[in-house]
Amino acid sequence: MTGAVAVAGGEAVPGAALELRAEGVCKSYGATVALEHADIALQAGEVHALLGENGAGKSTLVRILTGAVTPDAGRMYLHGAAYTPHSITDARAVEVATAFQELSLVPNLSVAQNLLLPRLASSRSGLISRADVLAKGREILLRHDLERIDPAAEVARLPLSDRQRIEIARAAENAGRVLILDEPSASLAETDWLFAQVENAKARGVAILYISHRLAEVRAICSVATVLRNGRSIATVDLDDASDGDIFEMMVGHRVDPARPAARSTSGPREARVAVTDIAGSELNGVSFDLNAGEVLGVAALEGQGQRELFRCLAGVQKPEAGEIRIDGRPASYRSPRQALRFGSGVSYLPEERKTEGILAGLSAATNVVLPFLPRISRAGMVGQGREVSAAQDAANAVEMNPRYLTFPIGELSGGNQQKALMARTLASGAKTLLLFDPTRGVDVGTKESIYAAISAFADEGGSVLFYSSELPEIVQLADRCLVLYGGRVFESFSGEDINEQRLVAAMIGHHDATGQEATR
Amino acid sequence: MANNNPLAETTFVQSGDTRRSAKISRETISAIAVAVLCVVLLLGARFVSPSLGSWSQVETVLILGSFLVVLSFGQGLVILSGGLDLSLPAMITLGGILATNWIGSSDPGAWYLLPIVLLVCAGVGFLTALGIVILRVPPFIMSLAMSIIVSSALLGYTKGTPRGAAPEMAIALMKGSVFGLPAPILFTIGFVILGWLIQSRSIFGRYLYAIGTNVEAARIAGVPVFTAQVLPYVLSATCAGLVGIMLVGYSNGATLRMGDDYLLPSIAAVVIGGSSILGGRGTFLGTVGGALLLTTLGTIISAIGLEFGLRTIIEGAIVLTALLLLREELFQKLGSLWK
Repeated sequence: MTGAVAVAGGEAVPGAALELRAEGVCKSYGATVALEHADIALQAGEVHALLGENGAGKSTLVRILTGAVTPDAGRMYLHGAAYTPHSITDARAVEVATAFQELSLVPNLSVAQNLLLPRLASSRSGLISRADVLAKGREILLRHDLERIDPAAEVARLPLSDRQRIEIARAAENAGRVLILDEPSASLAETDWLFAQVENAKARGVAILYISHRLAEVRAICSVATVLRNGRSIATVDLDDASDGDIFEMMVGHRVDPARPAARSTSGPREARVAVTDIAGSELNGVSFDLNAGEVLGVAALEGQGQRELFRCLAGVQKPEAGEIRIDGRPASYRSPRQALRFGSGVSYLPEERKTEGILAGLSAATNVVLPFLPRISRAGMVGQGREVSAAQDAANAVEMNPRYLTFPIGELSGGNQQKALMARTLASGAKTLLLFDPTRGVDVGTKESIYAAISAFADEGGSVLFYSSELPEIVQLADRCLVLYGGRVFESFSGEDINEQRLVAAMIGHHDATGQEATR
Repeated sequence: MANNNPLAETTFVQSGDTRRSAKISRETISAIAVAVLCVVLLLGARFVSPSLGSWSQVETVLILGSFLVVLSFGQGLVILSGGLDLSLPAMITLGGILATNWIGSSDPGAWYLLPIVLLVCAGVGFLTALGIVILRVPPFIMSLAMSIIVSSALLGYTKGTPRGAAPEMAIALMKGSVFGLPAPILFTIGFVILGWLIQSRSIFGRYLYAIGTNVEAARIAGVPVFTAQVLPYVLSATCAGLVGIMLVGYSNGATLRMGDDYLLPSIAAVVIGGSSILGGRGTFLGTVGGALLLTTLGTIISAIGLEFGLRTIIEGAIVLTALLLLREELFQKLGSLWK
């Protein structure tokens, strides 16, 4: 401990009650030090941001504050009294509740059951009444403006965004004193609902800890921010006094050049590498488009407009019910991601859910990167860690992943580094077409820039990229062309200079920008 | 920057990330612990009886252990891929009975029948796998059902009394010696090297770890999921058939219940060796340690002269205790002490 940490947050809002305070907490997993020394103080009725690069220790601090993890050292106080939760339930008993980034809902239970867990409404007989549960669930949904969600619906069948909303609503419902929101907007395309929930909690005098990579969002809703770097809390600052540059500097330790890369040249002869004609499925109602060689095609949409199914069909994870996909002019006959990878010039897929579809937690990051093309790097069918690491090195460099991490089990890395490894895998697969579903989800500023650069470089070398993003600035910056999906169809498409946030937003909610008329759907 | 900027007072700590990761994995700790325990047991046994702990005793353990090493390699692959094979006893008996019936001792020229016996076993394993992978029958039900079918078929085939004698090749494998060393020990060493290569160094091994961790993520990553799910059962059945042949060579004959005592040890060796029973984690060297540890225990218990029933109870209790001790938390504790 160098004593170089300045904490100014304790007195940030004069007169407000100090709600939750942590001093010098630290946590190691085995020999991996996840959090070295963190101080934070949350005030009642204040929204406090927690900022930091991937792997800075944000998630660990959150897990400590919520009782999911017991710190190795350090003290915590809630309302002046010592606060030592041994489980999430402990924390909730003293009205500290959390909406987790990796949602903590039970997929095969109903919305209402999930909202009421761990204590389902039970009658005097001790049995659980289904009707009671539904009624109470409906009440909670109503209180959080989610009456459109059926309390009896099975959680697994809801789109990710609604699952996230339920996770947030449940936390807000249980948070009498402290509400912790870990990347609450990661799967939400718009933040109005989320901000309303935060304002509500704030008005009730709840102290709120808000973790997000989106600085604009943080500025809109938070007043104070604590910055973590390499497992230490660097500073707590008043957001009105700190510029974006100041904050980036605190996060990464040096200034980040905000200049955007120049637009890629989009001229030159092209050939259609992927041709999609009228594909349809449960969420898709006939989507057609071409993707050319050397092109970055963006997909913008609100959640649940069919983008997930579109990507899964193209990747070979599921089969479209109708329509045709051609790769290099040949009808795509592949029926698995493995075959897709080897079909024609190859199709490689970066899936949506990192934890359940992406990483293989127990294996090293290097194995995770080279898994799709192991035969290529093996000698007589044999591979070793050395071989894997050297094969993954270039790809790791391309996304600016510290090669040191390659030998670590990927499950021990931070979310951002896991995402980098998956991105590296997709790039290194050798496929000429990349399908990237939200490639920068939960990733910090510096990592984003390196992923953007890798995507651009890939396209410059003649590769084709189809990517969906929940962040519009990303599409504006990267895409040569952009499709807006709405109701399972291509609602509008833009190219070049026409891609700007206002027009995309209008199209995403079903307005034709030119005429202003409402879409008929 | 304005003077009142809060950053002005902030001294940045060095931006280099100095955090480390555990160098020693759970599997390594387990393998070391099991190996140490093995040696301690063998040496400790000297105090019980002077005849124990001698070189000849070590030889006996290695020869007896060879059955479990081969068997738990197959079981280990199945467990690694996220399954479980309960058909091993029946497959051992199948291998043993086919070897004695088809080949016997009379015709030394019929060596080529041995691979065919193994192929039959592999075929049965393939059927088990198809039931699990295509029909989606839970592994323990499918392999248990296959076990009952095979046992019953063997009962019918032998009409209750297996005939024939051990093939010469099997006897040579278990009783012979090469350069003064017992052949089964050399065979086991070769098998362990081959097994380690397959599990820890081959592409197929990597695929097993991947599907055992998360089938869906493995599929998306381009792993040939079908092959990687089917092959472990085929290999497991083949290994069990081989153990049947080895047992026949060791004891000069086959019985209908020759495989019965091997089911729990085959699973226990894998788990004691540090593998996760849920799949995706573990090393073959750990499993070998587990197999040798269990064999050492068995030898010592029988050398003390306990009754067979009592011996089984003690073995069961030790296996349970080992499983409880070797759970995840213990390794985290050890890992954190290490740094």
